[in-house]
Amino acid sequence: MRGANALFHEGGTVSQFLLVLVSGVASGAVYGLMGLGLVIIYRATDVVNFAMASLATLGLYVALSLHDRGVATVLGILAAVAITVAAGLVVRETVIRPLGQGQLFSALVVTMGVSLVAESTAGSIWGDQPKDFPSLVDGTVRWSGAAVPVQSLVTIAVAAVAMALVGYLFARTTLGSAMRAAAESADTARVIGLSSQRLARISWALGLGLAALAACLYAPRSGLVPTALVAPLFRAFAGIFLGGLTSMYGAVLGGLTIGVLDNLAANYVSASFRDTFVFSFTVLVLLIRPQGMFGTRTFQRV
Amino acid sequence: MVFNRSLLARAALGPAAGAVLMAFMASGAIPAYQMYSVGLAAVYTMVVLSVGLLAGWSGIWSVGHPAFFAIGAYFAAYGSGHDWPLEAVVLGAVATGAALGAFLGYAGARFSVLYIALLTLAFTTVTLELINRWSSVTGGDQGVPVIQLRSALGFGTLLGGGAEAQYLAVGAAAVVLALAVPAAASGLRMRLVAAKSHPLAARTIGIAPEAQSSLSFAVSGACTCFAGVLLGLLTGFVSPEPFSLAFGISLIAACVLGGVGTVLGAVAGGIYLTWNPSLSSAVGLPQPVVQGLVLIGVLLFLPGGVVPFLAKPARSILRRVPRRPDAEVPLPAEASADHAPLRPPSEAAGSGPVLLHLEHMSVSYGGLKALEDASLTLRQNEILAVIGPNGAGKTTLLNALSGLTGNGRVSGTADFAGRPLLRARATARRRLGIGRTFQHAEVFSELTVAENVLCTRRRITPGDRADVARLLHSVGLADVADRRPGELPFGLQKRLDLARAMAEEPKLLILDEPFGGLDAGERALLARHIRRLHAGGTAVVVIDHVLDDLFSVAHRVLAFDFGRTIGEGTPDTVLQDPKVRSSYLGSVDGRTRPPEHVGERSMIRLHGVGHTYGGVIALRDVDLDVRQGIVLGVAGANGAGKSTLAGILHGSLEPARGDRKTGGTVRTSLAPEGRALFKTLSLRENLEVAAYAAGITGAPLRERLEETVQWLPARLRDRMSASAGGLSGGEQQMLAIARALIVSPDVLIVDEPALGLAPALVDEVYDRLARLAHDGLTVVLLEQLLSRAMSVCHEVAVLHEGVVAAHGRPGDPEFAAVAEAAYFNGGLEAATTAAATARTSQMN
Repeated sequence: MRGANALFHEGGTVSQFLLVLVSGVASGAVYGLMGLGLVIIYRATDVVNFAMASLATLGLYVALSLHDRGVATVLGILAAVAITVAAGLVVRETVIRPLGQGQLFSALVVTMGVSLVAESTAGSIWGDQPKDFPSLVDGTVRWSGAAVPVQSLVTIAVAAVAMALVGYLFARTTLGSAMRAAAESADTARVIGLSSQRLARISWALGLGLAALAACLYAPRSGLVPTALVAPLFRAFAGIFLGGLTSMYGAVLGGLTIGVLDNLAANYVSASFRDTFVFSFTVLVLLIRPQGMFGTRTFQRV
Repeated sequence: MVFNRSLLARAALGPAAGAVLMAFMASGAIPAYQMYSVGLAAVYTMVVLSVGLLAGWSGIWSVGHPAFFAIGAYFAAYGSGHDWPLEAVVLGAVATGAALGAFLGYAGARFSVLYIALLTLAFTTVTLELINRWSSVTGGDQGVPVIQLRSALGFGTLLGGGAEAQYLAVGAAAVVLALAVPAAASGLRMRLVAAKSHPLAARTIGIAPEAQSSLSFAVSGACTCFAGVLLGLLTGFVSPEPFSLAFGISLIAACVLGGVGTVLGAVAGGIYLTWNPSLSSAVGLPQPVVQGLVLIGVLLFLPGGVVPFLAKPARSILRRVPRRPDAEVPLPAEASADHAPLRPPSEAAGSGPVLLHLEHMSVSYGGLKALEDASLTLRQNEILAVIGPNGAGKTTLLNALSGLTGNGRVSGTADFAGRPLLRARATARRRLGIGRTFQHAEVFSELTVAENVLCTRRRITPGDRADVARLLHSVGLADVADRRPGELPFGLQKRLDLARAMAEEPKLLILDEPFGGLDAGERALLARHIRRLHAGGTAVVVIDHVLDDLFSVAHRVLAFDFGRTIGEGTPDTVLQDPKVRSSYLGSVDGRTRPPEHVGERSMIRLHGVGHTYGGVIALRDVDLDVRQGIVLGVAGANGAGKSTLAGILHGSLEPARGDRKTGGTVRTSLAPEGRALFKTLSLRENLEVAAYAAGITGAPLRERLEETVQWLPARLRDRMSASAGGLSGGEQQMLAIARALIVSPDVLIVDEPALGLAPALVDEVYDRLARLAHDGLTVVLLEQLLSRAMSVCHEVAVLHEGVVAAHGRPGDPEFAAVAEAAYFNGGLEAATTAAATARTSQMN
């Protein structure tokens, strides 16, 4: 959040607050997109995909290499999405599927292993030195006396469009209904003859695509190192737990909440202890409401 | 805790190995540059043990241990900087670790595995951030030295980074291992594992999962903090770098590699962690890549870990006992010689003091009343049977008695042995004297048979072991006492469930479908057992669908339907009550059968079909021919095998034996038991998804959707965008049938369409089914109520315990009696034989 920190001395308290808020919503949009990807994959396949961030990092490096060769940023982003999706599908077919169904913890740990390998591979190919990742747009616009970075607004807009498209897919198309159906009950889906493997692959592709997009929106502000996406991944985690783990709205709203809180805490409490603040808040909420804001409580029957 | 000789020997292995290692270190056999690594391996072993036993025994996977490890190390550094004595540092670290661990364990018990992962992730993130930023204490990323710690008790001074620290680390690890071995054989571990493998069943034997996980996390945290102090002393310098989240992942890798929950596995894991860098440089790959590949490889190919994998063949050679899960288990001589009278003398029953008294007890879940205004009185010397069709509220009644109603609202009063019952927590009811069994034998799969029963005790004495051995012998489980329940057939698992409920001699025993899934011999044995328990002074409440067995043991029968009591009587009289009888058989009303135009074409033909679920026989040798245009009824009580048959007819379930043939291309469609709608989807989406699954898309889909919507009743047509979860039971059933119809099936299979519906709605659903049949659709109807099946079907097959016990046409005047006998007893002949057996045994 270099931009926000550098700018917040400029205006008055109101414009400063506005800046923090825009910056928070922009971060939150990124966390929300990642969280949405996590939730889509989790609902369809019971896998919490820890490797999502590191696979997206691979995509970012490819996009950056293309950019350095003079390819347009937008094409680079498309390439990043394609690479991330392809890598994710390979991971699912080779190391997740052989685990079998319902291996919640094993699957999580395997994706942790994948993320160690992917991060290290990125480091040995492209180096551990921080690199600049190109923004889609530069510059700022004046808004109520504050200089709002255009990239923040673009981030919010792109994320909103992506979320709206996902919303359309799930709410308005038959494929989306089928994905929701399979997520609700795999058994019933089997009885009516839905192909769960196909739906699982589509969900992985969609989830990783969203993660790659989120990564491309996040990287211009953070710079690119092999572990660049670990922090946003954790905040996306906090967001989806806050939202209830299986709710797509919850993921987006949870991510936004975390993003805004994160930026408020960094600017008004202490920049050093932002994660402490964000995670303590999340844990406190979960202690009071274990099912999250939008999750449903399950009850085991004998 | 019992210290037998082999346990002591194994516990001594740790210190012995430690002593040998220290001797090697002192003799100079280990090169100086490896001395540090040996100490580090000892420290890592303690941490891996903490993480691994927490995961293996309590099922809590923590990524928070790097934080505990760091806290210990910074305690050492801070103590060294402020001249604290060694003992104060250790005590402070251990106490802090225990307190934080207890909190995480308590909070974690409320969550699932994933939430604990997040909770501990948050703990690590927050701790690392504090360490990095709180420079005045931790030195930030510059780190702080650990110069020396002086013992207040006169054990001298430990220099940071000195050789003494290496010896101390090895010694400490040896002691921790020596403590872990007897802990693995203790009741503590059994209770932890019990709480982990089945929290609900654990509650019924008085184990509170929250307390268990809090305790185990506290011990685990304390041990890791202690290891952190040793690490500080070993390295002589503490910085945030080694305590990353990646270290947390490495710890999990080390646990999984060695074998989760094994003491030896922790040693292997500690060694792996220490020499992983050397391993990586040896194979020429970056360290994280090696760790990641090891992690993935182990989970895919050796999910149990290396040590158990190697130990398995070693142990089987040592034991030299062939492991045959299907081995015949001989009945204990005592049990087979036991000729208790068929029914206990009636003067003994019903005359004792009142043990349990329920008044106006209701249980509701949201808007659904699962139990309504139930009242009953049970005397100390009585066996009470509760009967009723599926969904009548029987299990809810049992759950209310044992305190397992979850988030249901319970009202009314219940007195047990003169004390109010409803306010007591589930874990406290065991102590009051209530034991219970479960329909599906919910035993602790990760404990042995003997441990399943032993874990009811907090502290295990040799006397307890003898008691348990005697109990296991009396139910015929003595020969399998050291096996895991998963290796046993279902019947023996049920006996184990019963033995666990009987341990500690409860005053009241609650049995949830004890006869279900057992064969005739096992059922007879169980009936004898229940009578013996009664003779020993235990009151019993038992529910079941197998009425003949139930009635052979019960003194009194209470009948339920729709959550209410509908009748009461003795086993001989209760079925004469017309209300009770019709709740099972239904009442024949003026419903008309659709006109018959049954063709000759065979749509589905089953031949010799059988199916089992994990050793339980669901279907046996079924032959069935579904001809075009027929309405075929399959009637049978709950658990007779109807849903299995439905799945096999539908084709979504592959039969274990026999074959299924279709006459040409036949599209089958199933409206499953309990509707199985997608509740979060709208009505329209439910229909669309079914068509989509059958490959219908685009314009044909819209066309089919339009037609199917027209079939629905008008009140549903107006609500196509509402979510299916909001529909009433009858409306859901209508939608479930519509969903089956949208694919234009040749055969429609409907499984228990009337389940849980009010009579008026049942009529509506059946009218619609009759109209479909009238239009020529082939229908297979699986129905719990015999009379309903008889009133609408052209042909009825009666299923009893997985066998077609009768098959005929309702129009045939003789068939009614045959079908009824088949429904209750498996056939006229079987009924006569059963009655004869009953008479003979009564005479004995």
